[in-house]
Amino acid sequence: MSDKPLSRFNQPISMPGRRLLHHVSLDFVRRKVTGHGNRAVNQEIPLIPFIDFLLCIVLFLLASFSATGELPIDKNVKLPKAENVLDMVEAPMVAITGTQILVDGTPAGSTRTIEEANRLQRVDELFNILKNKRELWKQINPGKEFPGVAILQVDRRVQALVVKSVFQTAALAGFPNVSFMVGRLGEQGGGGAAE
Amino acid sequence: MAGIDIGGHGSRRSTNHEIPLIPFIDFLLCLVAFLLVTAVWSQMARINADARVPGPPKDEPPEKLEKEKQLHVEMRGERKFQLVWKEGSTVVNTIDVPRKQVPVGAEGDFKYPDLAEKITAEWKQNGSHRAATDRKFDQAVLHTDNSTPFADVIAVIDAIYTPQREFKLGNQTEIMPSFNVTFAVN
Repeated sequence: MSDKPLSRFNQPISMPGRRLLHHVSLDFVRRKVTGHGNRAVNQEIPLIPFIDFLLCIVLFLLASFSATGELPIDKNVKLPKAENVLDMVEAPMVAITGTQILVDGTPAGSTRTIEEANRLQRVDELFNILKNKRELWKQINPGKEFPGVAILQVDRRVQALVVKSVFQTAALAGFPNVSFMVGRLGEQGGGGAAE
Repeated sequence: MAGIDIGGHGSRRSTNHEIPLIPFIDFLLCLVAFLLVTAVWSQMARINADARVPGPPKDEPPEKLEKEKQLHVEMRGERKFQLVWKEGSTVVNTIDVPRKQVPVGAEGDFKYPDLAEKITAEWKQNGSHRAATDRKFDQAVLHTDNSTPFADVIAVIDAIYTPQREFKLGNQTEIMPSFNVTFAVN
């Protein structure tokens, strides 16, 4: 096909090709703005949006950052899972491993004593620690109603007798609203606390 | 690239500065990596129980307590659960549910869907506190053997919490478990 443009009357449809800025009379400007007939090979990476994106991630992660780790779980405790659960709350954590009872990491009795007695009983050490915690809370928050919430972190193999003994001890020490810490099974969640 | 141009030519020291974006991006990437590694994605939750112990003494005389229906869940049998509706010490109704354990996941977890289904049906039929404005909840009492593993206890409590109802507190309406669970002492 010849380069000569066809008459408008003979050929109403123009030849395909670039049109924009081709009319610029200065040669070097035309070459520059039309990309010299080719695409430019040098590309600028859009750094500013990239930095904005990184800053957003940093801010989000900083907001959810916890230096201590949110819920310290004893490595000897393997928790069971449940479906109809509530969200965690901040409360004294009583862990029951295979042999030990711990309150926020401090030893507070042995499960062997309960197992050997083979009957429901009060764990005195645990009772004293929880009672002290209750009194301390009341001193720090005078005039406020004590929520009485304790969370039991119990290994899945622990016998019900030990769980019931610890549960009863917590209730006697002034923590009647006892919750059991569990893993989430599926996505179905419960509502708020049923107190 | 980003820079600060405040004009001015001819002075001895250049007044135009380029912001070093590449080290800044490197720093941000390190920060992101650190925060991602140390992030705690907690999957923990809780299951509530109520010890049913009396609160501190009050000056007002106590309200006259009506005997309410309570659902007693007996899990001592090896082959079946027993659901017993009681009004005080009077047994109203007894239902047997086969003890069919359904494994969930690869970590040895399990649940009792038959028990959950039966408890839901029973609550719909016999539950006393079903209105959203009712502040009280139906009471379930769990009877368990001393040697029962805790995982088994939790699976049964999970089944008891399956029926849920609306609970209106002020202007907010929440979905809550219909039962409050407590343990039987004996």
